[in-house]
Amino acid sequence: MKDWIFTTDHKRIGVLYLVGSFAAFAVAGTMALLIRIEQFSPGPNITEDPNMYNSWLYFHGAAMILAFLIPGLTGWAANYFLPLMIGAPDVAFPRINAFSVWLFWLAIVIALLSFVIPDPPDIMWTGYPPYSVQTEGNTAFYVFTVHLLGFSSILGAVNFLTTVIYMRAPGMGWNQLNLFVWGTVAAFAIQLIFIPVLAAAVTLLLFDKYLGTHFFDPAAGGDVLLYQNLFWFYSHPAVYVILLPAITILGEVIATMSKNPIFNYKACVYAGIWGVVLISGEVWVHHLYVSGMPNWIRIGMMISTLMISVPVGIIAMSLWGTLYKGSITYNTAMTYAAGCMFLFLIGGLTGIPLAMTVIDVNVSDTAFVHAHFHFVMGIFAAFCVIMGVYYWFPKMTGRIANEKWGKIGFWLNFIGVNLTFFPLFVAGLHGMPRRYYDYAQFAYDPTIEKMHHMATVGAFVVLAGMAITLLNWIGSAIAGEKASANPWNSKSLEWTHTEIIPGPGNFKEPVTVSADWTPYNYGK
Amino acid sequence: MAEHEHHWESSWAPLVLVVGIVLAIPLTFASYFQYENALVSALFAGVGVPLMLIGLAKWVDEGLDQTHLHFGYAVPGISVFIVSEVFIFLGIFSGYWMMRLEADSWPPAGTPHMSMVLPVIMTVILVSSSFTIHVAEEKLEDGDEAGFRKMLMVTIALALIFFSCTMYEYSHLVHEGFGPSTNSYSTAFYSITGFHASHVLVGASIFVAILIPALGGRINKTFVQCGSIYWHFVDIVWFFVVSQIYFW
Ligand SMILES: [Cu+2]
Repeated sequence: MKDWIFTTDHKRIGVLYLVGSFAAFAVAGTMALLIRIEQFSPGPNITEDPNMYNSWLYFHGAAMILAFLIPGLTGWAANYFLPLMIGAPDVAFPRINAFSVWLFWLAIVIALLSFVIPDPPDIMWTGYPPYSVQTEGNTAFYVFTVHLLGFSSILGAVNFLTTVIYMRAPGMGWNQLNLFVWGTVAAFAIQLIFIPVLAAAVTLLLFDKYLGTHFFDPAAGGDVLLYQNLFWFYSHPAVYVILLPAITILGEVIATMSKNPIFNYKACVYAGIWGVVLISGEVWVHHLYVSGMPNWIRIGMMISTLMISVPVGIIAMSLWGTLYKGSITYNTAMTYAAGCMFLFLIGGLTGIPLAMTVIDVNVSDTAFVHAHFHFVMGIFAAFCVIMGVYYWFPKMTGRIANEKWGKIGFWLNFIGVNLTFFPLFVAGLHGMPRRYYDYAQFAYDPTIEKMHHMATVGAFVVLAGMAITLLNWIGSAIAGEKASANPWNSKSLEWTHTEIIPGPGNFKEPVTVSADWTPYNYGK
Repeated sequence: MAEHEHHWESSWAPLVLVVGIVLAIPLTFASYFQYENALVSALFAGVGVPLMLIGLAKWVDEGLDQTHLHFGYAVPGISVFIVSEVFIFLGIFSGYWMMRLEADSWPPAGTPHMSMVLPVIMTVILVSSSFTIHVAEEKLEDGDEAGFRKMLMVTIALALIFFSCTMYEYSHLVHEGFGPSTNSYSTAFYSITGFHASHVLVGASIFVAILIPALGGRINKTFVQCGSIYWHFVDIVWFFVVSQIYFW
C-alpha cells in the first residue's frame, strides 16, 4: 500500500491514473444514465428538482472530460507507455509526476464534494458568467477543480516534453518515434500553451464573484464575451488534447494487429499531428457563432475550422492506409479499433456542417451538437481508452484479458452508443435543444420524444456493456490466461525490450537503437 | 542508475504537499468566501499550511541529495514551465486590454491620481535583485559560498521590500476609496499587480528554500540556477506590468 501511494515510478503512477479515471467515469456515467432517464419523456421523470438535474449535467460534463478522458489518455497511457516506448528508465521528474497524479486525485475529491456540500456548483462544465458570478452556488469549487487539474496537466507537460526531448534511447531519431509518442507530445504542447488561458479565465471568474472585480460585468466596463473567448480558446484545443493521444493509440493498435508500418508516417506526424496543433488555436470562435461579433471574424473562423479537417484527414488516411494489405488479427483490441474508425468517421463528418455558420446558427445548442461531440470526442476517445486497456492489458497485469467477454462487451457498447446518439442527431434537427430538463414545449413533435426513448434505451445497453468490460478486466487481471512477453508480436520497444511486467527502471540493460530501427519494422 | 534496478522509487513529499495545497487554498478560500465561516477556514489553513511546508521541506531535502536532481533536466524543465506562465499572464492581460479598448474614456470615473514614483522605485528594486541573484550565481561558480549566501540574502531582502511596496501602495489606494471593485481600471490594476506580486512571493520562497540548507553548507547548483531563471522571468513580467498598467 505504502509502495503505491508514495510511488514515484511512472508505471505505478500510470495505474493510479487509470484507477482514478475509471472511478470518475463510473460516477459521471451514472450521471449520464440519470440524465437519460430524466429526458425519457417530457415533464419531471426521476427528480422534481431541476437544480438536481443541473448538478448531474455539471458533474457529467466536467468529470468525463477533465477527470476521465484527459487523465486516462495523457495520464495513464502516456505515463505507463511513453517512457517504455522511448527506452527511458522513467520520466525526467518522477516526484513532479507523483505530484501531478495526486493533484488529479484530489481534484476529483473536490468535484465529488459537490454532492455533499450546501450550494454545490451549478454552472455546467463551462461556467459562463454572468450566471456563474451571480449564482448562490459554489463557483469557487468549480474554479479550484479546474486549477488543480490544470496545474497537474501543465506539470505533466513539463515532465513529458523534457522526457521526450532528452531521454530517448541513444540512436533514436525523431522519425523513429512511436506515433503515440508524437500524439502525446503534441497533446502536451497544447496543454502547456492553452491551459494557462483557461486558468486565467476561471481565475478572473473567482475575482469577479468573490473579490468584487468587474471583468465580466458590462455595467462597469467589463465584457461577458471575454470569458467565452478565453474559455473556448482552451476548450476547443482540449478536444485535440483528447483526440491526438486517442487516435495515435489507435495507430499503435492498427499497426501491431495488421503487421504493417504506419502508412505515410512523416506526413501523418508533421502535416497531420502538428498541422492540428498549429490550427487548433485559431478555431475557437465557432463556439460563439450565435454570440455577437462582426461577420469577418465568423467567416475567418469558419474557414480555419473547415481547414482543420485537412490535417485530421491526413491522420485518418494514415490509419486506413496502415490497414491496407495487412494480415489483420481480429482480437478485442482490433475490434475496438474498427469500431473507433467508424465512430470517428461519423463524428468527423457531422462536424463539417457545424463549422459552417449558415448551418450552425440553426442547430446551435441543439441535440445535434450534443450528438456530434459525443461521437467525436466522447465515445470515440472512450473507445480508444478501452481499446488501449485491452491492447496493453498484458503489459500491466501479465495476463490476457478474456476475448469472449471482451467482444461481448464491445458489441453491447458499440450498439448502445449508436442507439443513444444517432437518434439525438434526428432530435436536434427537429429542434430539440441541448440540456433541457423538461421539453414539454417540444412535445408537439412526436419524433423528439421517440428519439429520446431510443437514446435512453441505448444508454442502458452501454451500461450492460461497460459492466461486462470492467468485470472482465478485474476477472482477467486475477485469473486470466498468462501472457508471453510479446503476445501480439509487436516491434515496438515496450513489447520487445521489457519483461512482460517491467520492473523498477524498466530495462535490464540500457537500450540503444540502430539507424534502421523503427517501432513498426514488420519487414515491409 | 544502478540503484534503480533493485527497488521501486518512492517519496512521500509530493502527496503531503498536494494535501497541504488543497487544504490551504481551495478549502480555506471556499469556507471563507463561499460559506462565510472564518473558523472553519482558519482550521483548514492551520492544517494545510504546515503540511505544505513539511512536504516542501522534504522535497527540497531529497532534491539536495541528488546532485543532478534525479536525471539533471531541471533547467530545461523550468524553461518549459515558464512558457505556460507567459500564457497565463497573457490571458489576464487580455482581460485588461479588452476592457480598455472597449472603454469610451480612460481612466474610468473613480480613479485617483496614481503615483508614478513608486513604480519606478519598485522597478529599480526588482532589477537590482535580478542583478544580485546573478552575482550570487557567479560567486557560487567561483566556489565562494559565503559570498553566495550573502548575495542570496540581499536578493531575498529586495524581494520582500518590493512586496512591501505593493502592500503599501494597496493600503494607500484603498484608503483613498480605490478598491478592487471600484471600476474597470481597479479591476485590472489589482488583478494584474496582485498576480505578479504572488509570483514575487513564490520566487522569494524558492530563495528561502535554497538559503536554509545553504546555511548548513548544502547547496545544489541546478536548484540555484532554476530559482534564478524563474526570478529573471518575474523581473521581465514586471516591465510589462509597469508599462501597461502605470505608464500607458
Ligand atoms: Cu470547437
